[in-house]
Amino acid sequence: MPLTPEERTRLEALAGIMLPGGAGMSGASDVNLAQDPVDRVLHIEPALTARLSRFLSQVRVVRTMPDVETLAQQDPQGFKALGTVLANAYFMHEEIRRQIGYPGQEARDSSGGLTGQDLALLRPVQERGPIHR
Amino acid sequence: MLEIRSDVVIVGAGPSGAVAALELARAGMSVTVLEQGDWVAAEEFDGARPEWELTQLSKWHPNPNVRGRPEDYPIDATDSEVNPLMFAGVGGAALIYGAHWVRFMPSDFRVRTLDGVADDWPFTYEDLAPFYEYVEESMAVSGLSGNPAYPDGAPCPLPPLPIGKVGRKAAEGMNRLGWHWWPGSNAIPSRAYRGLQPCVLRGTCGTGCSDGAKATPDRTHWPEAQKLGVRLVTGARVSEVETDAQGRACGAVWIDRNGIRHRAQGDVVILCANGIGTPRLLLMSGLAGRSGMVGRRLMMHPYAGVMGTFDEDLESWVGPAGQILVSMQFYETDTTRGFVRGAKWNCMPAGGPQSFRAGYTGGTLTEGWGPALHDSVRRKFGRSFEWGIIGEDLPVAENRLTLSENLTDSDGLPAPEIHYRMSGNTHRMLAFHTARAVEAMEAAGAIATEVTPLIRDCGWHLMGTAVMGDDPETSVVDQFGHVHDVPNLYVMDGSTFPTSSGMNPTATIMAVAARSVLDLIESRGDIAPSR
Repeated sequence: MPLTPEERTRLEALAGIMLPGGAGMSGASDVNLAQDPVDRVLHIEPALTARLSRFLSQVRVVRTMPDVETLAQQDPQGFKALGTVLANAYFMHEEIRRQIGYPGQEARDSSGGLTGQDLALLRPVQERGPIHR
Repeated sequence: MLEIRSDVVIVGAGPSGAVAALELARAGMSVTVLEQGDWVAAEEFDGARPEWELTQLSKWHPNPNVRGRPEDYPIDATDSEVNPLMFAGVGGAALIYGAHWVRFMPSDFRVRTLDGVADDWPFTYEDLAPFYEYVEESMAVSGLSGNPAYPDGAPCPLPPLPIGKVGRKAAEGMNRLGWHWWPGSNAIPSRAYRGLQPCVLRGTCGTGCSDGAKATPDRTHWPEAQKLGVRLVTGARVSEVETDAQGRACGAVWIDRNGIRHRAQGDVVILCANGIGTPRLLLMSGLAGRSGMVGRRLMMHPYAGVMGTFDEDLESWVGPAGQILVSMQFYETDTTRGFVRGAKWNCMPAGGPQSFRAGYTGGTLTEGWGPALHDSVRRKFGRSFEWGIIGEDLPVAENRLTLSENLTDSDGLPAPEIHYRMSGNTHRMLAFHTARAVEAMEAAGAIATEVTPLIRDCGWHLMGTAVMGDDPETSVVDQFGHVHDVPNLYVMDGSTFPTSSGMNPTATIMAVAARSVLDLIESRGDIAPSR
């Protein structure tokens, strides 16, 4: 079940505090995190929706991190679900990945094996000889 | 109700069950294997998809209590410092293992003689070496032969995988200290090999290989076993090993996903259900109880880690993961350290960006969020790697598995209840090793280090709960896995290990299974090949 407009508004407020942007990374609001990116996560893991909704139902006015902390202490499991949803929505976002230089878990050629530099590093280990009893 | 008849019934289709089934089939015997999980196709794993870090928290989580698939049984670990980890499926927990492939060292088989603790194994490294070599051929082990930690150099059939920027950085630190390291050996082929694809260094080994590269028994053993006629029944949860009027094992009862009971009869029954599942089944069946050791001596390898962060891009999400390097520098006993035995280190990549988002310092719930999250990811992501530390967990009778009186699985069978505490020796060992790993990181140039003294979800290596030995009063099985008390009943998984070593055990589990099943084939003239 999709989030209600009210839940989404509360989620936006939380996301803005928890992911404000900085260090060359966009904030949640810059990438509309509480919209499609969050829906994408909930589509993959629908079991998170109920726990997230429960947590969001407790949210009234949140303006600062201490406000979020108070809510988190009241419902740690719900906060865990919130964190899972926000973090995954954030780091699955193409723009964020570009900003941190992360191509994803990409495929690379492994056939090169050890380089000459690697083998040179290994030489002193070989020269010290056996270490077993 | 189905009634199946075969020469041999095996419970569990993981690494040891696969070895046993294939060798028996090659010897011409009819074999039925009962596996509570299912086949998992490579394309089901999420490694190549953006949601990789999301689904590892749920359907690919190694803790069955978190994963909660229909084929999983729950585990009550409230009285344990470590959670047992496993996976039910054709290929077993290897489906989501890191494929770290290391032999036990010679001293691991002689700890009583050398260090005056625990028990010697009934056989030596030299006895087991040919079986290591045998299973390493089938498991596509990539690595560099000549490791000075082994008398024979621990030869590998395939050349090593690249060690990359992370490996070189770690190696430089170890060289500055004059400490042992060696390129990691992994059950991951560095080139196409017997139907396996070459590794693509995706770094998602621990959540399943989506590229068909990692050597897992569903790819390395089961195709041939099934071609030879092995009957593999999935979705089959075994509830009881049956015995005849003479007390001989004669089959197993299993429950399918619809709750219907079936029976597989055989002249021999072999348990390969891991260090938790096997003793659970023995206890549920009321078998092998003479020594009182079933379920006791549980060893799970407490795991600590030291993460180092560097002031340069190391591309530290790149695999294998898998171990990039290993070190046995502090593996052997030095009593001046205040403990006996030691630990193996494995150098591993740090993974994706979410590895750096959470606050684990015991502070507020929100401490890892806000500007701190952005700073942490910017400073650490791609620039960090881990020295993981696997400490030898010595056997203690009180560390044990019992049957829960309160918790059951979906078929109403009692769940295992784990009682487990780390010993003082282990605490001292991990403290020593994490301190040395910090030094290794600093020698490599780390600008920051973080120590995780114990990771609760680390019980990958389940051993000791049906211990082997010569004396039926103090052990459950003999050196070939034959249950002392029950003719025709065998255990061929890590349950039989007298000690745990400080090594990832899959290599030894498969080698010991090969040794046991080949002895069974040679010695049991009463199991006439049916073909």
